[in-house]
Amino acid sequence: MSQSSVIGAGTTVHGSIAGEGSLEIFGRVEGDVEMSGDVSVADGGAVRGNVSAKKISVHGAVQGDLRGSEAVLLERGARVVGDLIAPRIGIGNGALVRGSVRTEGEPSPSPNKRPAPAAFKPTAFAAKPVAKAEPKLAPAPPPAPPAPVEDEDEDEAEDVDDDVVAQPALAAAAPARPKDVERRPPPPVLPSLGKGAKGKKKGQG
Amino acid sequence: MAGTVIGAGLSIEGDITSDEEVVVQGNLRGKLTSTDAVSIGPGGVVQADVAGQSVSIAGQVTGDVTAPERVDIQAGGRLVGDVKAARFTIADGASFKGAVDMEV
Repeated sequence: MSQSSVIGAGTTVHGSIAGEGSLEIFGRVEGDVEMSGDVSVADGGAVRGNVSAKKISVHGAVQGDLRGSEAVLLERGARVVGDLIAPRIGIGNGALVRGSVRTEGEPSPSPNKRPAPAAFKPTAFAAKPVAKAEPKLAPAPPPAPPAPVEDEDEDEAEDVDDDVVAQPALAAAAPARPKDVERRPPPPVLPSLGKGAKGKKKGQG
Repeated sequence: MAGTVIGAGLSIEGDITSDEEVVVQGNLRGKLTSTDAVSIGPGGVVQADVAGQSVSIAGQVTGDVTAPERVDIQAGGRLVGDVKAARFTIADGASFKGAVDMEV
């Protein structure tokens, strides 16, 4: 019973079209089209209404949603204002579309799918910082060599000359360990204070 | 090309206006108007007023039929409605119920 139907170029249909088989539209349809087979809107053909079919190919104009259970194909010269929904969607060179395109069978899952990725992303970001924090803690042990130097600084703070010698050693280590850089600024300041303090002490003494 | 073909298995609810030949083998409910020939195929079921240059009925039509040229009900065809045409034939085996106006 599935026979091909044709809406000729000089024909206008006001109303809904539904049925089995394929349909070629060379004329004008103002209403919804629902076919179990294929629907083709030929060059010069125009549809104002939603079209749902197995495979929809458009060369003409459509104002409405195109819903293909198999495919929606827009050929050169096609003008579509509406959404495209099908597992397989093709938009050829020279085809114009204004609307959203969804390559999926059912339209309903889309709202559920969109929030899901958003929920996953935050967790992914949260996991990354934790991973980064661990590596930072791990390298901490290596700076062990500088640590004794700092201890020496405290001891050497009493002796001004030793502090000056120790500073270049710290500066050399500085580029390797950022954490050390934060600790180093104080030592350079201390020697100068130490010098002044000793000088004052000497002056006072 | 054969103009417009409403194939078997296709249903249209609404108006069809055309300036070319229209063949209905499916279902139509509404109104069918053409300035060219209209034919209702053997499997066609039309619940609509039909107007065409000439109208040939081999299926079932419920509604008024108007044609400036002619209206023919083929064998096996069935028409319930008034006919307004210059020429009107009813084939043997056709059924018809309605009034006829041949613009005498």
